[in-house]
Amino acid sequence: MTLLAVNDITVSYGRLTALRGITLNIDEGEVLFVTGPNGAGKSTLLNAIAGVVPPGSGSITIDGAKVTGAAPEDIARRGFSLVPEGRNVFGDLTIEENLKVGTGMRTDRRKIADDLESVYEEFPMLAGRRHTPAGMLSGGQQQMLVIGRALMAAPRIMAIDEPSLGLAPKIIDQVYEILVRLRAQRKLTLLIVEQSSTRALMTGGRMVLVRGGRIVLEGAAADMVKDDRLKQAYFGFGDH
Amino acid sequence: MSQRPSVIRQTILTPIVLIAALLVMAALTYYFGSRAFNRTAVEMFINIMIVVGLYAFVGNSGLLSFGHISFMCLGAYMTAWLTIPPVMKSITLKGLPVWLLHTQLPMWIATPISGFFAALIALIIGRIIMRLSGIAASIATFGLLGVVNNIYSNWDSVTGGQGSIVGIPPTMNVWTGWIGAAVAIVIAYLYAISRSGLALRATRDEAVAASASGIDIVRERLIAFVVSAFIIGLAGALYAHFLSIVNPGSFYLRTTFVTLSMLVVGGMYSLTGAVVGVVAMSVLIELFRNLEKGVSFGSHTVALPNGVQEIAIGIITIVILMYLPTGLTRNLEFRWRGWPLQRRLQRPAQTALKELN
Amino acid sequence: MTAVLQIVFDALSLGSLYALGALGIALIFGVMRLVNFAHGDFIAFCVFAMLWPSTDAAAIVFAGQLPSYLLIPLLLLIGAALSVLSELIVFRRFRNTNPATMMIASFALGFVIRHLLLMLYSSRPKSVTLWPSLGLPVEFLGAHIPMLQVVTIIITLIVLATLVLFLKRTRYGLEMRAAAENFTMARMLGVRANGVILLAFAISGMLAAAIGLILATNSGTADIGMGANVMLIAFIATVIGGLGSIPGAVAAGFLIGAASVVFQATLPHDARVFRDAFVYGAVIVVLLVRPQGLFAPKSAKQRV
Repeated sequence: MTLLAVNDITVSYGRLTALRGITLNIDEGEVLFVTGPNGAGKSTLLNAIAGVVPPGSGSITIDGAKVTGAAPEDIARRGFSLVPEGRNVFGDLTIEENLKVGTGMRTDRRKIADDLESVYEEFPMLAGRRHTPAGMLSGGQQQMLVIGRALMAAPRIMAIDEPSLGLAPKIIDQVYEILVRLRAQRKLTLLIVEQSSTRALMTGGRMVLVRGGRIVLEGAAADMVKDDRLKQAYFGFGDH
Repeated sequence: MSQRPSVIRQTILTPIVLIAALLVMAALTYYFGSRAFNRTAVEMFINIMIVVGLYAFVGNSGLLSFGHISFMCLGAYMTAWLTIPPVMKSITLKGLPVWLLHTQLPMWIATPISGFFAALIALIIGRIIMRLSGIAASIATFGLLGVVNNIYSNWDSVTGGQGSIVGIPPTMNVWTGWIGAAVAIVIAYLYAISRSGLALRATRDEAVAASASGIDIVRERLIAFVVSAFIIGLAGALYAHFLSIVNPGSFYLRTTFVTLSMLVVGGMYSLTGAVVGVVAMSVLIELFRNLEKGVSFGSHTVALPNGVQEIAIGIITIVILMYLPTGLTRNLEFRWRGWPLQRRLQRPAQTALKELN
Repeated sequence: MTAVLQIVFDALSLGSLYALGALGIALIFGVMRLVNFAHGDFIAFCVFAMLWPSTDAAAIVFAGQLPSYLLIPLLLLIGAALSVLSELIVFRRFRNTNPATMMIASFALGFVIRHLLLMLYSSRPKSVTLWPSLGLPVEFLGAHIPMLQVVTIIITLIVLATLVLFLKRTRYGLEMRAAAENFTMARMLGVRANGVILLAFAISGMLAAAIGLILATNSGTADIGMGANVMLIAFIATVIGGLGSIPGAVAAGFLIGAASVVFQATLPHDARVFRDAFVYGAVIVVLLVRPQGLFAPKSAKQRV
């Protein structure tokens, strides 16, 4: 069943239009990989779903409930957890505090301690430094931390914006291994935005290509990556 | 740059319209206004000078300054030192240097000197402060206000300390007020279209891009700071000649915030906004002042209790900012449909809107 | 030795006042980037709330008569209520406007409060007698320290400790610290923006009430402008401490208090009246050396 439905949304910043009518459906437990060149509107799409930028038109529903134009905190409370681009750890807060910020809205308070331990199991290098300010972590560690932090919010859908940005290839592999494992363990629905499409092979699932604020290509990730049309559409050759 | 003549052609309307509008107000006041109303008008013209001077720095650099009223203080005391009759000075201001004690200049010479004195101090202090950006720069200008106020309030032998210095020739009327306002507008306008002014506005809107294209932000800011100090120094001198007494308390927080409010209410990135803000607030103040005195309905006189004026003005300021966060003019200059320059002058509004999003 | 001890206590008690003020400004700045210039008027309002509105010269004590265990909570409540109301009525509408507009709005609000007080109470300072026994000196290692100084320092330490516990140990404190660092991110983790901001205003208002109580006890008068000076120094301390850093604001408050007292004690007699000029001059120097403040938050550097 459809967990997240984005229906024909547009977003403009002043006179600049970033999204020109995007429609997406994500089923429970699915992975959706959103790719596209710089400035295509990928991050705007995530920010619009998260309620950070209000869509000009169209609608967004999470599990059937309309969340268009709702405040970010209300959308988070519906189970949508965004890991934004650039990681955004709370640098002055310790690792453990970072992990706990998102637990304030949870109703199953008893499970929080268990979840905290399981996040530490998943990311052992965080466990050793619970009381270190997050600002002291390396880029890769911060990426792990924000994924862990999003998990602690017990989301139904986790969206990640450019998880590989600024990380070494080895670390990127690690991040994706964790994402794949988490998905298998927790039946998490994932929405991943990446500029490069190659990682989609690791996650499987569906893939959409966004360019110029529109979805220009859609299909199974495995087929798309092999398909020449992706390359063409990505670089805009298809238009000529 | 070769575009200079066209910049003037495209923007010259703004200062002309502003100065002409003020001339009409001055004339109406002179021929029809009561004595009290004339004083209100002079006060308004002096406030226009201050706020326009403030605009020259804040509007072009985008930095909020809390220190500009210290230049008013510098200008006012300088003109007091220069114009008070030596006999009086030798009693009240014994600490002045002998040559200054024996000097007495007419107002029209003393006023520009006061402006230059303020500008000189701005040049010295600005070399230090203008290296800062953002809120640190604002606080540093606050520090300047604190330093100047503290010195002028306590250096008894030279400034008369907390008390007032009396005996400044009271030579102001609406016409001198209008001339002062016009001079301020012309200087601020000329600065705004100068190479430095254009460069500084570029740094305000796109700091990174501007510095990448070789603009020396610190230098341009310093120029704006000095120009603004000059205008406000003149305003301080005229203010001294208006009241004929000076007192350090008049050049502190209250005046700082009232003038800043006028600028923000008008639209802090526009010259028109600076003038409109002062005129609008002055009209409001005068209106409530009269309401406090009482309005007659037949045989009944209804008067607002004292103090309502300030409360109402505070509330109106808040409401204006609530609905028009970029001020009454929305940071636009005086408009003339179809003028090519509109684009350029409208940009600040868009920047401000971008900030809103 | 006793002279040094006296200076230490002077510095600590003045610093306490500034630190409490800076805290009230920093908390609100942290969550909504508002420099609240009305804070000084909140302080005055809390003091005048102890008196019955009248323009007579003699003060009519009203809440001031209550026993301390009622008076103190009542004033804290009044401070919190005034602060929360100002957020609900005024500042809420200024979310996301540029800082200059917000600053001017807060100044205008302070202006309204100040003139409301003037209208109700007139501009004459009024005498308020709270706990006269606190004026007596206590002997401490040979120095005579006014009891009030000791109490001020102890109260400040208690307030600070409570606040640290609240910020570090409770869920709301955690949310507030997270929001102060990155408001949008905190919201995306489910932190309620309105809740955090209201809480910050409530705490800030209570701090204003605490300062009001200390000032009134100290001077024995209620004066419309009494909060303004503390507010100014507090504002400067917030910047020197590194905007957004709560511990920085407190430390800078103590630092400015100490600097004032030390200048007062060490400057030559003729230069003493210019103490504030030296303090402001020192502030400018500190900013030149560290424009981001002495204790800038770690995240602030990363964002550049």
